[in-house]
Amino acid sequence: MERAKINAGQLFVLIFLFEMGSALLLSLGIEAKQDAWLAVLTGMCGSLFLFWMYYRLYLFYPDMLPTSYMQHIFGPFFGKIAAYLYILLFMYNGARVLRDFGEMLVTSTYTETPLFIINALLLLIVLYVIHKGIEVIARTGEILFVVLYVLAVTGSILIVVSGLINIDHLKPVLEGGIGRILKTAGTETLYVPFGEAVVFFMILPYVNRPDKIKPAMFSALVLSGINLTITMAVNIAVLGVDLTERSQFPLLNTIQAIQVAEFLERLDVFFMIAIIVGGFVKISIYFYAVVIGVSDLFRVKEISSLIFPLGLVLLFLSMVIASGYAEHIKEGLRFVPLYMHLPLHVILPALLLTVAALKKRHSMNKRKQS
Amino acid sequence: MKTRLCCLTSALLGIILLSGCWSNEELPDLALVSAMGVDLEKDGRYTVTVQVINPGNVAGESTQGTGESASPPVSTFTESGWNLTEINRKISKKVSRHMYYAHTNLIVISEKLAQEKGILQVFEVLERDHEFRSSAKVVISYRSDAEDIMKTLSSIDKVPSDKIINTMKATEKAWGEHVSVSIRELIAKLVSSGEEPVVTTFHTTRNKGETLQSIQQTNPAGRLKAAGLAVFKDGRMVDMTTGETSKGIVWLLNKVKNTAVSVNWEGEKHAAVYDLMRQQTKVTADVEKGGDIRMKVDIAAEGNASEVKIPINLASPDVLNKMEQKVEETIKQSILSAVDKAQDLETDILGFGAVVHRTDPEAWKRWKKEWDERYFPDVQVDVSVDVFIRRTGLRNEPFHRN
Amino acid sequence: MPYRLRRLFRSKKQQTHSIADQKNRTPLETSLKENLKEFKKRTGNSSDVVIRTLTTGGMQWEAAVVYIDGIVDNLSIDEFLLEPLLQLQVPASPVQQQDVPEFIAEQVIALGGIDPVSDWETLFEAVTIGRAVLFIDGAAKALSASTIGGERRAVEEPPTEISIRGPREGFTESIRTNTAMVRRRIKNPNLRVKTMKIGRQTKTNVEIMYLEGIADNKVVEEVRRRLKQIDMGSILDSGYIEELIEDQPSSPFPTIHFTERPDSAAGNILEGRVAVFVDGSPFILHMPAVFIQFFQSVDDYYSRSFIASSLRMLRIMVFLISLYAPATYVAATTFHQEMIPTQLLIVLSAQREAVPFPAVIEAFIMETTFEILREAGIRMPKAVGQTVSIVGALVIGQSAVQAGIVSPAMVIIVAITAIASFTTPSYSMAVAARMIRFILMVIAASFGFYGLILSFIVITAHLCGLRSFGVPYMAPLAPFIRADFEDSVIRLPWWEAKERPRLISGQNSVRQGENLKPEAPGTQSIRKQRKNTGELDED
Repeated sequence: MERAKINAGQLFVLIFLFEMGSALLLSLGIEAKQDAWLAVLTGMCGSLFLFWMYYRLYLFYPDMLPTSYMQHIFGPFFGKIAAYLYILLFMYNGARVLRDFGEMLVTSTYTETPLFIINALLLLIVLYVIHKGIEVIARTGEILFVVLYVLAVTGSILIVVSGLINIDHLKPVLEGGIGRILKTAGTETLYVPFGEAVVFFMILPYVNRPDKIKPAMFSALVLSGINLTITMAVNIAVLGVDLTERSQFPLLNTIQAIQVAEFLERLDVFFMIAIIVGGFVKISIYFYAVVIGVSDLFRVKEISSLIFPLGLVLLFLSMVIASGYAEHIKEGLRFVPLYMHLPLHVILPALLLTVAALKKRHSMNKRKQS
Repeated sequence: MKTRLCCLTSALLGIILLSGCWSNEELPDLALVSAMGVDLEKDGRYTVTVQVINPGNVAGESTQGTGESASPPVSTFTESGWNLTEINRKISKKVSRHMYYAHTNLIVISEKLAQEKGILQVFEVLERDHEFRSSAKVVISYRSDAEDIMKTLSSIDKVPSDKIINTMKATEKAWGEHVSVSIRELIAKLVSSGEEPVVTTFHTTRNKGETLQSIQQTNPAGRLKAAGLAVFKDGRMVDMTTGETSKGIVWLLNKVKNTAVSVNWEGEKHAAVYDLMRQQTKVTADVEKGGDIRMKVDIAAEGNASEVKIPINLASPDVLNKMEQKVEETIKQSILSAVDKAQDLETDILGFGAVVHRTDPEAWKRWKKEWDERYFPDVQVDVSVDVFIRRTGLRNEPFHRN
Repeated sequence: MPYRLRRLFRSKKQQTHSIADQKNRTPLETSLKENLKEFKKRTGNSSDVVIRTLTTGGMQWEAAVVYIDGIVDNLSIDEFLLEPLLQLQVPASPVQQQDVPEFIAEQVIALGGIDPVSDWETLFEAVTIGRAVLFIDGAAKALSASTIGGERRAVEEPPTEISIRGPREGFTESIRTNTAMVRRRIKNPNLRVKTMKIGRQTKTNVEIMYLEGIADNKVVEEVRRRLKQIDMGSILDSGYIEELIEDQPSSPFPTIHFTERPDSAAGNILEGRVAVFVDGSPFILHMPAVFIQFFQSVDDYYSRSFIASSLRMLRIMVFLISLYAPATYVAATTFHQEMIPTQLLIVLSAQREAVPFPAVIEAFIMETTFEILREAGIRMPKAVGQTVSIVGALVIGQSAVQAGIVSPAMVIIVAITAIASFTTPSYSMAVAARMIRFILMVIAASFGFYGLILSFIVITAHLCGLRSFGVPYMAPLAPFIRADFEDSVIRLPWWEAKERPRLISGQNSVRQGENLKPEAPGTQSIRKQRKNTGELDED
């Protein structure tokens, strides 16, 4: 483990930016039609439970990386397999996010630039920051957090000033009943974006004040959930359900609709900044988790020697996971939640927690007996 | 460390320098398309006319005293083909620059195309393309081709597309017979099941306004003028409304900002004029158990008495009350005529379906399919208008009172 | 492993060097003649070396006073050294020949600093800094008297840091004057000054100044350690020292702040920073420095807090403009024409129509021209400066536009950038922006805003990764420290700013008393008074 430490405020910022990352880009929970925002909110509430689970796990082993304590819980063989699965998950998710961003830029602005170049550039930046370590990622996150918030506030003001908000688009509320919302939350929003924060159990051991982790984690989750809810509600209120559903990047369309004083129009750059900032943090966190995971699992002392090769893997993975955007999205909606997110975000952590708790009780009983 | 830094730098330099510049375009290489017009040929092909800005003639050194420059502020290019993407590529045969659509703020659809083929196909590509602004306005050409509208020069606004948009906005604000509709709003209404769009139509005189001479007169020969509102049903233009009916539609869409309402007074036609300052229209639905649908339209309007032709005492509250009632009646009539028109045409341009959807989602599910044909024509509409005359200008009684 | 070896090797070498230094000293002779001969030989008969021979003690002792003309105070040599010696009569009790120097030092010379000198090396150290040395025949010892003086620049208004309000004096080239100016402001015995000599040839006096009990001891130690490691031939200015003790010399951003103003220096020392004075340089360094400090001007502290805060925010915004303005112009006109308002785009397009270069080349030409002009303007004598500005105005102004080589919009952008780059209070930070600007222009031309946003992230990450003597460079923004934030981007009124910067001072963080906020008389305070005296008893 790197000896660097981050504080609880930085953890908050990182979780927040991570959640906002690519989630801002997509039409979250649009299966629930105009109640998508409620689905996001429900997903957020559900994820509080997931987070509690990750937090409990951390409490059992506060000084250890998950890749180590999994071996502790499941024994060396199965533990290593589990740890390896997580590293693969993070790698794959990181590649997915990278692909999302590349596709966004290529579709919206850089139509003639090859996807590879766009991805390579972003990854280059990520490598640079990873090289500097978690402290620098966290500090950079703090500055970017401010940037993102300034943008968000300006954007909201502009949207309101242009008179784009049409509350009627959000009505009728609960048309499909609670069931539809729960279904959407359970199959989609719970995992993306909220469940994705499972990666933070790799980061938690780096926090300097363990007592402050809980409030930081949950408030970050709630704040990002609220922000995403607002974003989704605004998207629907501006564009209508149908357009939001058909749009590849609803937020981009919302921002393009801004028209203030016939002067401020086509503020695509706003969108680009928000997306790149969020994506950068998200990919960095995933990649950092991969790097420390690999170094911990395979006992590689020099973290910096891993960064380049793993970065190349991430880059090529992002290119080959899908041949086109449609395929990429289909994979993301159909296969990833079922075969990757459900087992690794929910089932395996639950299993880990149960076994860890049993082991602890067992050892305590033993101690009592002796 | 050093070697790694060198590797990184050289990789970075390589990427930057070798990549060259993919998506970039210098300003002088762009043809700024200000407006695009789409016509329908007899054989079903599209004809697209683009209006390209000549920047030098709009913003150039015209201040140096040569007066009007010798060439027009815009040029147009026409090409036909089976789809818009192809046409856009083919048009490069005629233009020396890359066609740039990100600043296109006006789409003109010819009446013929709107009536015969419908507009759905045209807007599919406009929505999909990343360059187009979704805030671009849409108009329908009335009794003229879209090409004619593209070619007509205008005098006050140098760029004709600006002229059309500004006219539309100004008249929407001041008179209230037209609405300006953007691509985004239009598509939203086209796809939603309880709403159909209306689009402003524009008219010009063919072959009159294409030369610079035409705008060197105080009364330009070819003139772009807002005509009426094109009414759509399932993506096809079915009729055009004008006058009071159009106004009624705009009232119901809650888009009236200012307008003038004249009322008859003791036998004298259009004797007193009410100048509307602000209004609020609320449409609510009342779905009864039996399936009868009643729409309630509540209008609260505020304004001034601005002109009287006959000597009536505007200082008297009683007179004003009477006038208020007459104005209310006039507004009501124009709204009812709009409702009649829409029900005749069996197209829900008034958005009643969306209101019903919000009020009673369950019932809406049953009605959705046949709304326009079966349910909408039978909807009962109650209109209640509340007009307030707040002020009467700088004078109380007219000077011709005796 | 190799690193450790190298270190081991180096430390041994240093040790042997210093031991040799002590051993190699050559003692003085007893005979005055021999000494003077040797002295002449060693100075090579330089013409500014003065040797004054005399006899003293009632004609019984041969003596000579040597000094270097120009760096000594002639008056004190004449009045307090030569005159007493010449008027000295035969002493009442006889003095042994070898004790004469002690006798003279104790009873004759009327100068403050007198040191005995017994070897040539010490003697030359003394002579070269402006002390006068007295040889006496028959003793293997000489006396060096403190007669340092000579012509020095007087205290003037600091030309590089001008303030509207606030003291008008600036540091000079004399280290003693400089430390005195700070001491005059901090009347506290805890103000420590430590001296060391750096530079093999120049033997420059370098002094560390800090406030014991407030400055972080670790930082003080670290500064001292880094200064000791310097093994240079010459130190002519504090710039040498800055470059040699920086944390990250490869970064374009400065991690050590310098100032020419004693009030600013005092303020920084009071916040717990360590100041380094270098003899011969009017610029003193203080460390640790944080990014935001380079945007603070002394005037901020003398003007009202609300105005100071808004000015600071303006400076940061303007700094970003000076970095990004030309790059943004290039990116917007070549990649993102859609975001430029239509009317503006038509105007820009009409202007660019006749320009033969791509936007980025145009920007490069203009920015380079401007940099050339600026460089010329700084180096030119004042009389010629006028010409430069006239020619410059022609080149990057009207004629360039009329010739159709550049567009008027580009001229405006360059002008904005130029003005913006002058608003950064710190010169070293402004220079950093100048360099980075060109790189950003290349990035903008290759990747548009995508590249610019990425570059922003890289710059931010780079800044966040920097440290200055252990303090994160972007503190108190990242890591965010609320207590330190009160004097960073904003400046809270003094009564709100109760604590010193935590990361810098490390100890003793409370700065001042409570309840400093002034209140209008007649309301609260009077009520309080009355209440205390019992005059007011209705509540």
